[in-house]
Amino acid sequence: MSQPILETKSVSKVFGGLVAVDKVDLKIEAGKITAIIGPNGAGKTTLFNLITGVYPASDGEIFFQGKPLKNIPAHKRVALGIARTFQNVLLFGNMTVLENIMTGQHPRSHYGFLGAALRLPRAHREEETIYLNAMKYLNMVGLGAYAEQNALSLPLGQQKLLAIARAMATEPQLLLLDEPGAGLNLLEKRELSDLIHRIREMGTTVVLVEHDMPLVMGIAEWVIVLDSGQKIAEGTAAQVQKDERVISAYLGEEVE
Amino acid sequence: MLARIKSKWTYLVSAALLVFLILIPFDWFLGHYTTLMIFIGISTMVTVGLCLLMGYTGQVSLGQAAFYGIGAYFSAVLSKTYGVNPWLAMLIAAAATGAFAYVIGYPIFRLRGNYLAMATLGLGLIIWILFRQLSQFTGGPDGMAGIPFLSVGGFVFDTSFKRYFLVWFFCLAILFISQNIVRSRTGRALRAIHGSEAAAESVGIDVTRFKVKIFVLSAVYASLAGSLLVHHLRFVSPQPFDFLASIKFVVMAVIGGLASIWGAIFGAGATRILSDELMFRFGEWDVVIYGLILMLVMIFMPEGLFVRLRQLLERWRLRHTWREAEP
Repeated sequence: MSQPILETKSVSKVFGGLVAVDKVDLKIEAGKITAIIGPNGAGKTTLFNLITGVYPASDGEIFFQGKPLKNIPAHKRVALGIARTFQNVLLFGNMTVLENIMTGQHPRSHYGFLGAALRLPRAHREEETIYLNAMKYLNMVGLGAYAEQNALSLPLGQQKLLAIARAMATEPQLLLLDEPGAGLNLLEKRELSDLIHRIREMGTTVVLVEHDMPLVMGIAEWVIVLDSGQKIAEGTAAQVQKDERVISAYLGEEVE
Repeated sequence: MLARIKSKWTYLVSAALLVFLILIPFDWFLGHYTTLMIFIGISTMVTVGLCLLMGYTGQVSLGQAAFYGIGAYFSAVLSKTYGVNPWLAMLIAAAATGAFAYVIGYPIFRLRGNYLAMATLGLGLIIWILFRQLSQFTGGPDGMAGIPFLSVGGFVFDTSFKRYFLVWFFCLAILFISQNIVRSRTGRALRAIHGSEAAAESVGIDVTRFKVKIFVLSAVYASLAGSLLVHHLRFVSPQPFDFLASIKFVVMAVIGGLASIWGAIFGAGATRILSDELMFRFGEWDVVIYGLILMLVMIFMPEGLFVRLRQLLERWRLRHTWREAEP
């Protein structure tokens, strides 16, 4: 395996007395779709929050493209190329669909208060680029017809697509999707896996946390299994499905 | 199609309003209201800052009068006591107020919601007490008179008529700048923070920095307004910068519609007229009335009175257009 795009070395996170993530070592290969699965409370979302810098790790280190992420605040990690979506979607409800995606272009544009206040030519130019790029991502997820609608007026399935478009608008190398399939119907899930495939083809590495096994088995090229904060298995979907520890984590162990 | 109708309509209305605004101070028109309009212009400047801060970014400030007062006192003391050129004094005042807002911005924006409201309220009270207590500079509770007029070259702003244009020049410039900010990358970042701080961070927005920056901008607006106020009255005392003043600015912003830049004029105007024509009848009960207005507007028209009226007008106009289009 060449240099992984993301690597965690013995990363832990402790909340009070609870060990949410326990000495996890991960290597995420660039250009692939990796799924992180595990029962509720396995520490999947906590791991995402550590990678994106929502809170610092209690112990261990995280490397993105070989560079340590320690002490880099969350908003700067986005500029480095790590984007994410949330379990509870978190769209900007006070904006239109298009504006949500335009906001995603924030780290790829630079003009500030002064440029905006005085409508400097640079602001005009950048705004044009932001608009065109946003339209590109809007059409990528097939929401072109809803550009001027309020973001929260969309049904949940489309809201989730919009959240992905917003994350993609930050032009990431690594996209972290937190339960993208939750709450979607069969048709929407099919659209979603199609979209994830297209995103990978654009050269973006995708890591998803997901509960929906058929979805995971259908798209993930590598599966990592967490349980109680620890990594208990990894491999291809087929390998993981046969793993004893994975089966017992999901179904519970026999009482001896 | 709809957008084009709207922009043509907006253009016409804006042009008509501008002409109206220019004609107001002439004696044969509404000259009687010149002074009132000066106060409305000054209040609007503070209110716009509050709209950006509260309406767009979602951060409460119950101490905006502090920045208004700092600007006023810096201008007053520098230009009168130390004989500094009033324009330079105004610039120093704005820079000092901005720097002050920047310094307290970082600790204060560690707080959210009600705690932020309490902190800004406390800030307002502390600054107000300083105005009263630092009497060797500020003249204490009695205030300080004899502040010079502003002037450009040999042209002195010594009548209300002249100052009307000065104040509204500043006011419209600030409205214009704010409108540009709102419709930009920065404006989207501010609204994103209002929408969801976690999501804003996830698209690379430095949440605290933007909060502080908009706080500084609103403080500078308030400071400029304060400077214009003292050069208009030629007198300064702590009274216009007390707790009630901060509350009034919030009422103005809320009535104007928090997320509407031009609504600030309406909010400031309505509140000012209300307080001049009506409130004095209630004596010290006016605080209760302001509170009541605030509650009623927030409950029944959370988008603000101005925005609500505009929506109704829009709906009426659309219906009208539809009827005409029918065969």
